[in-house]
Amino acid sequence: MPRDASDLLHGTLDVLVLKTLSWGAMHGYAIAEWIERRGEGELVIVDAALYKALHRLEESGAIISQWGLSDNNRRAKYYSLTTRGRARLRSESETWKRYALAVGRIIEST
Amino acid sequence: MQVPSGFRRAFRLPASSGQIARDLEEEVEFHVAMRVKALERAGLTHDDAITEAQRKFGDVQDLRDYCVAIEVPHMQRAHLRERMSSMGQDLRFALRQFRRSPSFAFIASLTLALGVGATTAIFSVVNGVILKPLPFNRPEQLVQLWGIDANGHHLHFADPTFDHLIAENHTLSAAAEYNTGDISLAMNGSASRVTASGVSKEFFRVLDVRPELGRAFAPEDQQKGSPMVLLISHGLWMRLFGGSPGVIGTTVRSGQTPVTVIGVMPAGTEYPAGTDAWYPREPFGEDQSYTAHNWNVIARVKDGLTAQAATRDVSMVLRRLHAAVGEATWTFDGTAIPLRDQIIGGVKVLLLLILGASAVLLLIACANVANLLIARMAVRESEIAVRVAIGAGRGRIAQQLLIETSLLAAVGCAGGILIAAAGVRMLLALRPALIPRVGELSLDWRVLVFAIVVSAATAVALALVAAWRGTGGDLRAALSQSQRTQGGGGASYRVRGSLVVVQLAMTVVLLVGAGLLARSFVGLMRIDPGFRTHGMVVAATIFDDSRDADYLGRRSVYYRQLAERALAIPGVTSVGISDAPPFSNGSSNGTFLVLDNAGLKIVPSELRALFDDKTRTGYATYRTASVGYFKAMGIPLVTGRVFDADDRTGGPQVAVINAALAHKQWPNGDAIGKVIEFGNIDGDLTPITIVGIVGDTREEDLAADPAPAVYVDFDQRPGNSDQMYVIMAAAKERPTIAAARRAFPQVRADIPMRFLTVEDIIGRSVDSQRFMLLLVGVFGTVALLLATLGVYSVISYLVAQRGREISIRVALGASTSEIVGLVLKQGVMLSLVGAALGGVAALAATRVLKRLLYQVSTSDPIAFASVLVVLCGVALVASYIPARRAAAFEPMDVLRGG
Repeated sequence: MPRDASDLLHGTLDVLVLKTLSWGAMHGYAIAEWIERRGEGELVIVDAALYKALHRLEESGAIISQWGLSDNNRRAKYYSLTTRGRARLRSESETWKRYALAVGRIIEST
Repeated sequence: MQVPSGFRRAFRLPASSGQIARDLEEEVEFHVAMRVKALERAGLTHDDAITEAQRKFGDVQDLRDYCVAIEVPHMQRAHLRERMSSMGQDLRFALRQFRRSPSFAFIASLTLALGVGATTAIFSVVNGVILKPLPFNRPEQLVQLWGIDANGHHLHFADPTFDHLIAENHTLSAAAEYNTGDISLAMNGSASRVTASGVSKEFFRVLDVRPELGRAFAPEDQQKGSPMVLLISHGLWMRLFGGSPGVIGTTVRSGQTPVTVIGVMPAGTEYPAGTDAWYPREPFGEDQSYTAHNWNVIARVKDGLTAQAATRDVSMVLRRLHAAVGEATWTFDGTAIPLRDQIIGGVKVLLLLILGASAVLLLIACANVANLLIARMAVRESEIAVRVAIGAGRGRIAQQLLIETSLLAAVGCAGGILIAAAGVRMLLALRPALIPRVGELSLDWRVLVFAIVVSAATAVALALVAAWRGTGGDLRAALSQSQRTQGGGGASYRVRGSLVVVQLAMTVVLLVGAGLLARSFVGLMRIDPGFRTHGMVVAATIFDDSRDADYLGRRSVYYRQLAERALAIPGVTSVGISDAPPFSNGSSNGTFLVLDNAGLKIVPSELRALFDDKTRTGYATYRTASVGYFKAMGIPLVTGRVFDADDRTGGPQVAVINAALAHKQWPNGDAIGKVIEFGNIDGDLTPITIVGIVGDTREEDLAADPAPAVYVDFDQRPGNSDQMYVIMAAAKERPTIAAARRAFPQVRADIPMRFLTVEDIIGRSVDSQRFMLLLVGVFGTVALLLATLGVYSVISYLVAQRGREISIRVALGASTSEIVGLVLKQGVMLSLVGAALGGVAALAATRVLKRLLYQVSTSDPIAFASVLVVLCGVALVASYIPARRAAAFEPMDVLRGG
């Protein structure tokens, strides 16, 4: 399926969020931290973009949210994957692996 | 959004876009606070940490806009889905409720269906007959005028009387004479028999209608000797001319007279009812006699005046006329009757009563449904209390009850529409010719909508009241009291009980009415009319050849040939010819003179003196009959002989009389051989000798005593009428009609004819009674059904309410029959009170039936007794079912509150 550039960018963040949430329900800050840590500082994401992705994913039914209490007893919104989100994560991961491989091959070629 | 079902209530959907923004703000605040904390841990100062966290977060405003934009429609959809899903849930719950108690759902919707359907059907029909205004402008101004004779009987108008009235009255803006009969219309080689009215100048000005096509009568059409012109009805235009606009100016023949069609009148304006065409009466000239009572008169009262004023005026004018011309006129007085009253006649009061009762019927249906619903709610009080306890709001409970009752109302109303449509069609199918204007009837949609709104509103209002009571009342009280006390039982049971009693009483009135009409109808149909009715076919003909010297000769040949053709039809055993078939109202009545001997030569100038001698006169129906007439009609010969082939034209004239006349005029039994003169009918003054006496016949009205009659020989006294009837006695009617339709035109194709069976003619003569019987009967049956359902529901309620008491009785050893008896007693009480009240009411109400009843008293004990027995029996059955249910109670279940 061909995608344009902005789609790709959204798609990148979406698949990262989905992957993160596959470990369990988290609030927004935890997701941001988790991505930064796993990306070893290479992936710097503007927080606002992350929240856009969260609300977009919620709207599309891939994740749902629920208010809960954080570790330090503050009200925080927790997101978790739905069945649909899990399926989407699987298919998007495949697409991304193939895409990254293709990009890599082009860049590596001499 | 796919929400797992467990979450449905656990988290709340955002309620508004403000809520969305606030949620987002809180989320962002939390995020920033966490970030600040982390940055401070990394060594930044508080202020730097805040600046850094905000920088790292990015554009909050943009994020807010983005989220609101995607979430608002989402939120709206979710709310809608939530509402739909709760309604769907309630709908499923309602259906489950109905499955659990199908009898409640069935009875409630049947009650509504019957109430809505029967009320609408009956109201449509009755309303169509009496309440709908006549299809003319200002119909309340239209009156029918009558003269009144010395005995107070209504008289038609004679021309000079009418002219005098026109000249002298002060209350009428227009008045017109009219007279209706059949004429033939011949075109393209075939002739049709149509009903036509000769009308005087002002006729259409009285009715205030104009042709939809062509022109109205003009003064040049309304002179003595003017060529004949015709206005035709919309129906005839369609039937005979295929609705072609080319009809205007077409010339057809009526007998020997050319007639030009000049216009078409709009549909629905056929007056008098059944008229196909109108022609001006003036070309035929006026009859100067004050006693030629040939004309009906309608008039329009001047603006602002009433029919009563017109009556006073007409009465005064005619009394003055009588004072002026004296013996020359028989008209002593006059009256003006509103046209609608004239048309509806004697059934008006009855129809009005039925109309009122149909409104009551709808109320009763609503009350019954209310009863059922209240009983149902009472049973469900604890269920509702539980639902309130686990958090259902008042709105939610109301929604659920509303859905339940709306479902019932929808099913009931749908059934009602079906019943109404079928009912109107059934009532219309009977087409009572004597109840006028019934052809215009159709289902009245306004009534239907009204009935539906009333019944649906009842259901909805009850649901709301129940929801309010169920959720507003003391929860604990509802939980603990329902089914444990007879609380509310006393007063509300009395209310419900009296509703049922009223229903039962009304049912008694209706059923007694139906019973009386039925007994009267059966009586009527059992009357022997004195002639054969089965296998009898009548061919009505118009022999309208030119009236030259040979007219009667040609006519006689024509009918002889028709008779021969008729006899050749297989199955036809005998044929007769007459000037008036049974129930045609076509026979003449008159005064005859008894003479000393047949040789007397009568001088017209001496007649007056002879008629003044009352001992020498008699009054009888005058009929023309052919040789075969008595055999064909099956009228038995009592003594003497009937006509035979030797009674020739020009020979000594003979007559046959009926037993009624023989008994009345010659009580000593010496009628045979007597000579009479009966010239005032056909102008033939030749003395006639009576040669035979035949059996009596009832040919005007089954319920009336046979009229004295004189039959004269068709060959000897052919009369001058162009309308004669060929009567055939056959094995089967339909094949005979079909064969005659083929055979008769072979004699003369241009003579139009209409075929009737005597059975149809008699059936039509009792149409009005049959229709009333049907209307009241259907109505009574519906009322009985509703009353049965009413008894059933109130007794069921009682059983439900007293479940605990009954269980205790069972536990204490009461037998099944004791419990059944206990419940039945209630039903019996209700039905006895209802029957007693209804019986008394019926005694008063059935008096309006008096005019419709034949040889049945309005307090006929058989009708009353059978209705009361039926009613009590039905009430017993209706209370037996819940009684059995009560007896089957398992005491422990009930006592545990299960």
